[in-house]
Amino acid sequence: MVLLETINLTKYFGGISAVKKFNFKINEGEIVSIIGPNGSGKTTFFNLVSGLYKPDSGDILFEGESLVGLRPDQISNKGIARTYQTLRIFGNMTVLENVLVGMHPRLQSNFFHSLLHTLKVRREEKEAREEAIKILSYFKGRLTGPRLNHPASSLSYANRRRLEICRALANHPKLLLLDEPAAGMNPSETIEMMEQIKEIRDKGYTIILIEHDMKVVMGASDRVVAMDHGEKIAEGGALEVARNPLVIEAYLGKKGAQIA
Amino acid sequence: MGFETFVGLTLSGLTVGMIYALVALGYTMVYGVLKLINFAHGEIFTVGGYLGATFLIWIGIEDGIPLPLKILYVILAFLFSMILTATLGWSVERFAYRPLRKMTRIAPLLSAIGVSIFLQNLILLVFGVDPIIMPVAAIPEGYIPVFGANFRYLAVIIIVFSLILMGGLTLFIKKTRLGKAMRATSQDREAAEMMGINTNMTISLTFIIGSALAAIAGILVAMYYGTLKFDTGFLYGIKAFTAAVLGGIGNIPGAVIGALVLGLAENYGVGLKLGILAYFFILGLIVGLAYQFYFLPREARKKALFNLADRFSYDEGSLSKVKILNYCYYGGWISGFYFLFKERRDSLVRIHARQAIRVGFANTFLFLVTLIFFLNSNYKISSEWQNGITFLVLMLVLIFKPAGILGEHIPEKV
Repeated sequence: MVLLETINLTKYFGGISAVKKFNFKINEGEIVSIIGPNGSGKTTFFNLVSGLYKPDSGDILFEGESLVGLRPDQISNKGIARTYQTLRIFGNMTVLENVLVGMHPRLQSNFFHSLLHTLKVRREEKEAREEAIKILSYFKGRLTGPRLNHPASSLSYANRRRLEICRALANHPKLLLLDEPAAGMNPSETIEMMEQIKEIRDKGYTIILIEHDMKVVMGASDRVVAMDHGEKIAEGGALEVARNPLVIEAYLGKKGAQIA
Repeated sequence: MGFETFVGLTLSGLTVGMIYALVALGYTMVYGVLKLINFAHGEIFTVGGYLGATFLIWIGIEDGIPLPLKILYVILAFLFSMILTATLGWSVERFAYRPLRKMTRIAPLLSAIGVSIFLQNLILLVFGVDPIIMPVAAIPEGYIPVFGANFRYLAVIIIVFSLILMGGLTLFIKKTRLGKAMRATSQDREAAEMMGINTNMTISLTFIIGSALAAIAGILVAMYYGTLKFDTGFLYGIKAFTAAVLGGIGNIPGAVIGALVLGLAENYGVGLKLGILAYFFILGLIVGLAYQFYFLPREARKKALFNLADRFSYDEGSLSKVKILNYCYYGGWISGFYFLFKERRDSLVRIHARQAIRVGFANTFLFLVTLIFFLNSNYKISSEWQNGITFLVLMLVLIFKPAGILGEHIPEKV
């Protein structure tokens, strides 16, 4: 079943088209990678889907409903979560609190419940806490234990990336947008991340992945979409796309492509 | 000065400080989520006080009625004022700030000043120029003797009530789901939206809580001083803002500490009729201690504050710092220069010496100010100087610690 579909999605910045007539489809349970050189419109695509930018034309359908015109928090509540290429975790909060913030929309308690601190609130908070720890343990002890109550800013770079993924998972999204989850990681951490992305998929999430590291792209994704100058230039299996002359040209330029 | 005077000044300093704190929380919370200085907050405070007093006048509270009923009336007045003032705070944000949120940062600031003037005029229009008088029956009477000083019941109520409110607010922000949403919004609004947090609602909630606290402060001030004028809020607003900056703007415990420091400084400054040396010594000590605190490594600060002996048990480097500070205490200028020439080979020490001269400057300045007071008013500082002292404290703190006592709450985007 198609989970997310974009039809002729277009976004201009000034006169430059950041995303142009982009048609994209992802089925439930898939991992689709988007590759492309810097500035090819990958992150803009994420920003359009998550509601930070309004598209100039075209449509975004999530489970058959249009997302255009919704606020980011409404889109998030429809079941789309994302991470950022430049990390955006809440540094002054603890690791656990970061995930609890991610659960915010699912919890029921309102201002007056909190004021009165009812039994219901307490039970809900306890359950939320347990679940947050469960999500954090996806990464096998790297974020649990004593680290739970450390400020997020004290984590190592790789752990911050992992935390950001946990935070995104906290709201049980149907679709997870990962923007370069392995950026800045060393080779062994990258391989670990690749395995973990697959494990997360096996837990029932659908994932769109922006990634430069071809090892991750090859290893993790079911399908690859290549972008350049905001347009789709290739689509298909990872190897097939990597060998596509247009893709090689986009990365290396015309001359480079001839040499290659 | 007798000990009673000192106790009395401390208590009234704490009382006034608590009221500043209630107002300062509103400034600091709004700054936290919007990076906006809400200049209309002082007027929101006045409106709160006026509404409370009006309610009590309207309901006809008088000496004849039994105490439980009186208490009920006062509680109703608080609730009435809090609800209306919170609505006002919400609408100010909704109609004067939100439409300008995506403009330059100066636009909402100007809008805030506009709202401030607008509200002041509105109060004039509705209530007139004459101050509103809080019905005497609504004000708790009586005194508690504390070490010979008389402490008003009302002051006790103000301090306890404020402490409960601040504790509650801290718990709310630390523990609850909405508090976490507020913190997330203040750190990174866009990321918070991605988490499904309705940030507009969170910002509204901030204004609602801040305004309700200001309303409480307004009524308490009206009770404490008996009256409230249309422009009372201006000065309270400015001072509470000072307190927020003093403690580190955006930092909630900072606002409370800043407000208490301010309230105490104001009262000591005005009330103490000390000999010139004693005055010089106390202020010098405050500056010196604050500075020493600033110098020590973070983990040593707490120790140093509570244990004098610990201050002298550090390595060479810190010891020399302690030495400088001792010079500063007693010598001002001279010691700073002395130090500079004595040990100028060591560049690190020279940096410290430069700091020492700064302390020296400050101490000399204080000395001169004190001298002027001494010559002019025969040991006494008249109450006209109160606001001057407030801002002197602010300047001094900010010279040495630009981010405020507890540091500015700078959201870490990591």
